[in-house]
Amino acid sequence: MLLFRSEEHIDRWCEARGLPRGGVLTPGQGWRLARAWYAGKLTPDWRRKTVDEAEALFSDLGLADPFWRLR
Amino acid sequence: MAPLVGDVARFDRTVRSYVFATTAATGRVPTTQEVADALGQVGPVVAEAFQRLASRRDIVLAPGAPNIWMANPFSAVPTMFRVFANGRTYFGNCIWDALGIPAALGADGRIETRCGDCGAAMALEVRGGELASGQGLLHFGVPAAHWWDNIGYT
Repeated sequence: MLLFRSEEHIDRWCEARGLPRGGVLTPGQGWRLARAWYAGKLTPDWRRKTVDEAEALFSDLGLADPFWRLR
Repeated sequence: MAPLVGDVARFDRTVRSYVFATTAATGRVPTTQEVADALGQVGPVVAEAFQRLASRRDIVLAPGAPNIWMANPFSAVPTMFRVFANGRTYFGNCIWDALGIPAALGADGRIETRCGDCGAAMALEVRGGELASGQGLLHFGVPAAHWWDNIGYT
């Protein structure tokens, strides 16, 4: 999971490695995902999100592509 | 002294808490021996706890070694995702985890990395619980259902 300057840089990176283009997030989406995923991670009561919770989060962030399905 | 069988869950919780609290406080993920010394245990007992925590994906162990590689969002080794927060320097495992460090700390933070393609320096800033500045795009190469097939590659 890397940061790129633009769509063109992502495409060039994928082409150079013969890899399909994956999922792309704006920095704002990335921050909202990170905040929802990791807030409270340092507390003893933190627990991993269930598959349902994670998919609901992806949906809330507008990540509806099959790329973001967990099953 | 090894924990009693009935106390394993509590011991694992103590180990997990120590690992994350120490990493947050120092910027460095503690080694197996450091955790053992801090908790009055021997290395192999902590190594077993690490194995259990890794099986639950709380941490990721270094290949072929008993030490922690990732206590997500933190990396135990330097990476290209450097995070400055609370006056310390941390390393994220990827750009998502780099953003996850100020989120986990509940602190402002500056993430410095490079474009995955051309290597140009890039930065994102978090202030007051919001993304204050940042350009570019995050790219996830591995579909979500396969992230844990090979988490190091992901």
